[in-house]
Amino acid sequence: MYIVIIGCGRLGSNLAIEYSKEGHDVAIIDNIEENLDRLGSGFNGRRIKGVEIDNYTLIEAGINNADIFLALTPDDNINIMASQIAKNIHGVTTVIARNSDPSREFIYNRLGIECISAVKLVTNEIKNKITEEMEE
Amino acid sequence: MRAVIVGGGKVGYYLFKTLIEKHYDVVLIERERAICNKIAEELDGEVICGDGTEPEVLKDVDIERAEVVAAVTGKDEENLVICQMAKINFNVNNTIARINNPKNRPIFKALGVDKTVCSTEVISNLIEGAIGSEEIKSVQILDRGEIVLLEVEITKKSPWNNKVIKNIIMPEECVIVSIVRNDRVVYPRGHIEIKLGDRVLLVTSLEKKKLLEKIIIGG
Repeated sequence: MYIVIIGCGRLGSNLAIEYSKEGHDVAIIDNIEENLDRLGSGFNGRRIKGVEIDNYTLIEAGINNADIFLALTPDDNINIMASQIAKNIHGVTTVIARNSDPSREFIYNRLGIECISAVKLVTNEIKNKITEEMEE
Repeated sequence: MRAVIVGGGKVGYYLFKTLIEKHYDVVLIERERAICNKIAEELDGEVICGDGTEPEVLKDVDIERAEVVAAVTGKDEENLVICQMAKINFNVNNTIARINNPKNRPIFKALGVDKTVCSTEVISNLIEGAIGSEEIKSVQILDRGEIVLLEVEITKKSPWNNKVIKNIIMPEECVIVSIVRNDRVVYPRGHIEIKLGDRVLLVTSLEKKKLLEKIIIGG
């Protein structure tokens, strides 16, 4: 599979390294050079320093041939814009975005972008854990 | 008329000021507290400190009542999302987005935000028109900078000198609108021959401008 990722924070770099180890082709974009250093020397994919919402940068990363696009920056606006470019302009079939601010999750839904809200996931996880422990 | 402006930079500030002077019911949203305070001190209008890409903030300023929303922050992704949100969530159809990077114009269009102004592009075109070649002048920018009215002076060297209009090959999206000859307007019908000293007025899309200039100047 060909995977394009934007945002090389802890989440993005981790996923990039894992998919690359599994033998997939990965290209990862981040606007901050130091963020790309998180990938370490063992990373086999492509690292691109550039603006995440820039169509040319995305094309350079091979978005035209991508099977999967992951928008994982901490900025919802960047993720929303880049995901729409991937989905609506380049026709990437699988587009998944990270949602930072849960109050803005509905925007992704309204625009038809699949998203995962880390805050919501962890909140629910913690609550479940506490409920379970209380029941024990 | 109620207007909502998002972004209190130079563009937002002057737009706010102008609309207040025209007695619009206008509100400005800006994220940075210090900038908000400064604007509120200088201008007698409603300034809200908050993130204009957050739906709660937009709800607080009664965006639903707004006839027009102008997203003029310095970040293109913010301006895109503000306009999309105004449309999808608050039913405001008249939105206008500032584009900072000209490369993003086709992206905004493709994503359904078609009313845009690219300050960078407009300014550089105006300056280019002022310092450009003697033969070709940008007379007017139309449709928020997407279309340009050009004036071309026909010289001896010009490939169009003594050419009949119907024999001129032009790129698509370019039209000859009129010819000024000895201060009189000549209608550009197919059989008209372009002569030395004519000033030809052309309308072209910004995209095809460079190509057209090449054809006119030759080389």
